[in-house]
Amino acid sequence: MQRSKLRFWFAAVVLAPVVVYGADPGQRISFVSCPIIRDTKSVPCWISQYNGDTYYLTIQSDVSAAVQPPMLGHQVLVEGVVSDAPSICGGIVLDPVRLSVMPERDDRCNTMLPADDRYTIDFNPRPPGPSSGRLAFAPAPRTRQAAPPPAPEGPQSMDLYFDFDKGVSFRHPGELSSILSLANRLPARKVKITGMRGAHLLTDKTLLRESESVGRRRAEEIGRLLQGAGLTVSPEIELADGKDEADGIDDWRTRRVTVVLTP
Amino acid sequence: MNRWSVFWVCATLVATGIAAPDQWWNPGDDRPLPAYVEYANAWGRLGVLNADGPVTTDGHPFFEALGPNGRACVSCHQPADAMSISLESIGGRWTATDGTDPIFAAVDGRNCPNLPARDPASHSLLLGRGLFRIALPWPPVDATGKTIESEFTIEVVRDPTGCNTGAVYGIDGEKREISVYRRPRPAANLRYVASSGFGVSPFIGKTGMLAAIDPDTSRPVNMNMMADAREATLKTQAMSAARGHLELTKGLSEQALNRIRDFELQLYAAQAFSSEGGVLDEPDGPSGLGPAALAEGRDGVLGNNTSNYVIPMENKWADLPKGANAAEVSRNAFRQSVQRGHDVFFFRTFWIRDAMHINTVGLGNPIKRTCSTCHGMHLTGMDTANGWMDVGSTNHPWALEPPESPWAKKLPELPLFKVTCRKDLPPHPFLGREIYTQDPGRALISGKCEDVGAIVIQQLRGLAARAPYFSNGSAATLRELVDFYDRRFNIRFTEQEKIDLVNFLSVL
Repeated sequence: MQRSKLRFWFAAVVLAPVVVYGADPGQRISFVSCPIIRDTKSVPCWISQYNGDTYYLTIQSDVSAAVQPPMLGHQVLVEGVVSDAPSICGGIVLDPVRLSVMPERDDRCNTMLPADDRYTIDFNPRPPGPSSGRLAFAPAPRTRQAAPPPAPEGPQSMDLYFDFDKGVSFRHPGELSSILSLANRLPARKVKITGMRGAHLLTDKTLLRESESVGRRRAEEIGRLLQGAGLTVSPEIELADGKDEADGIDDWRTRRVTVVLTP
Repeated sequence: MNRWSVFWVCATLVATGIAAPDQWWNPGDDRPLPAYVEYANAWGRLGVLNADGPVTTDGHPFFEALGPNGRACVSCHQPADAMSISLESIGGRWTATDGTDPIFAAVDGRNCPNLPARDPASHSLLLGRGLFRIALPWPPVDATGKTIESEFTIEVVRDPTGCNTGAVYGIDGEKREISVYRRPRPAANLRYVASSGFGVSPFIGKTGMLAAIDPDTSRPVNMNMMADAREATLKTQAMSAARGHLELTKGLSEQALNRIRDFELQLYAAQAFSSEGGVLDEPDGPSGLGPAALAEGRDGVLGNNTSNYVIPMENKWADLPKGANAAEVSRNAFRQSVQRGHDVFFFRTFWIRDAMHINTVGLGNPIKRTCSTCHGMHLTGMDTANGWMDVGSTNHPWALEPPESPWAKKLPELPLFKVTCRKDLPPHPFLGREIYTQDPGRALISGKCEDVGAIVIQQLRGLAARAPYFSNGSAATLRELVDFYDRRFNIRFTEQEKIDLVNFLSVL
């Protein structure tokens, strides 16, 4: 766990007098529910309710956060591990946690709770207004210009992960640039892009599947973008189904595209 | 030129009366544009600064009429209007020329080219809201002219200009184009607008899509220019404008394009004098005000932080003495209001909700932030890169629409389109699959459903000189602009906060 993240979990103190755990620490939990935003005196926090329990999801910070907040107006797919950390914003802490905004509108998801003195965020990586001039979770600045690493040998495989039923988004520019750079350094003579249709075994045993065409759509989109940015090899597209991988453990990994570059 | 020297040059010029030129520039006027000049406006005076010194306009492609309709770039990018064109100037030209000024050219100065000349009704959008017609191909095409597969279909729900349903200019007409109506953007401070110093990569930061490429360098650009970022560079924009607005069939030579670009990159405009607040860029004043601050400033810098600030004021006007006489009392009170307005802009939080390309970039929906979250570029208040967002200025239900009723005297002026997004793709996260809009904005270029109504954030400099505001001219005054945001985001500004914010915007 990153140092900053550790600091966050220990320092984010909840003043709620009563904490009730409905799930055991270490238990994996996966559900789809409405997110709820709770204001605080600093940044708002996000929680969600499932099976009568309230789970803490994340706080508002900035684009450098490992866990990015959900959206009102949409349900959220939550995949996490129950932690024994003190509750935050009245919610059981999930650590790690993965959130994916469900694409269809759901106007029932519209709960904004006011600030409540019982819930405070003591660790505040980024205030709600202007920052101090650095990203909340920015990596330490490099002291020396590192020499570019030598081009690796043999086929190189990289995975890109997606939000549920969604294509390329703000999550991907850096990864796409890295793939393009590696393809140029190898140089890649063959490019295979495999788009997988994601599947999730939820805690209630429901198998939640992405739309049938999403794997192809993602793979073709990645291919188009790489070619548009200068990849000269015409990629080979393959499809896969994440149904067999879905076991309730890190099923978000099935929402992926794998790019294999062969020199 | 440093801040002190600019100050004394300006003071000397103003004192000697050199800075009292004709406000309006006709194409081919052939008078020099001084190194520094001030123009009066309703809030005071705008300062226009040429960092490279006086500009000889005789033979300059920005200032000469190059095409058959008699227009030059300067026709719609007037120095007195912060290199845009104000509604007041447009009305003045109509009166002065009986509607024959080249700005009223049929191609885009009329609501539709086939409407009768010199009839105010034919120019109602230009005369009433400062809007020029922008005709874009439908379906959209990329930079090479290849058709882009759109994620949506579009139909015309309302067509008060008759252009979008017409046999020639309509979506299904001979030209197969869509007419939207937009304000000209300021052609000043463009070093900031065109900066590649922040967040530029082959893939657009907010969406992962391909960034536009500078054809001269083959490098990606920041895509922060024009309402829809359809042109990659100042040169491609100048070429496009020459062919479109100037109707120059052959376009411009490489030499002419370079001269226009070089002129624009050294030109700065900002309010320099406030009728109530006095000299804005005096040496001991706030460092972010006045055109010299822009000439000396760093571009491509994120200002939504307490290291750089968007408009640095150093709290210089936070705690002023009351003043020794009535004039000083009034001036200091106004300056304190400006400082408070800055603090509202920078620190006053509210919930930003359902705004495409800000609530969808990993921050959550809603986010508790401030004006400067989106207006974050140091010294200009633009977004720092790839700055298109949908704040609702053109999309239903937030866009300004006159109330419909049997008693209504004011009729809708702008077209209304219905956009229907494909069912096999995710919907627009906030507007669903059926969207009503006056201007689809970036979506007319990208073909993306999520871009419907997304407009590139404008710079905030020289606002006092170039009303009305927003790309569709829907805010006639700075107060209406503030009121729009107050309604849109349920901010619940106090009356004092609104006054202070307007005063702050008036001195930029």
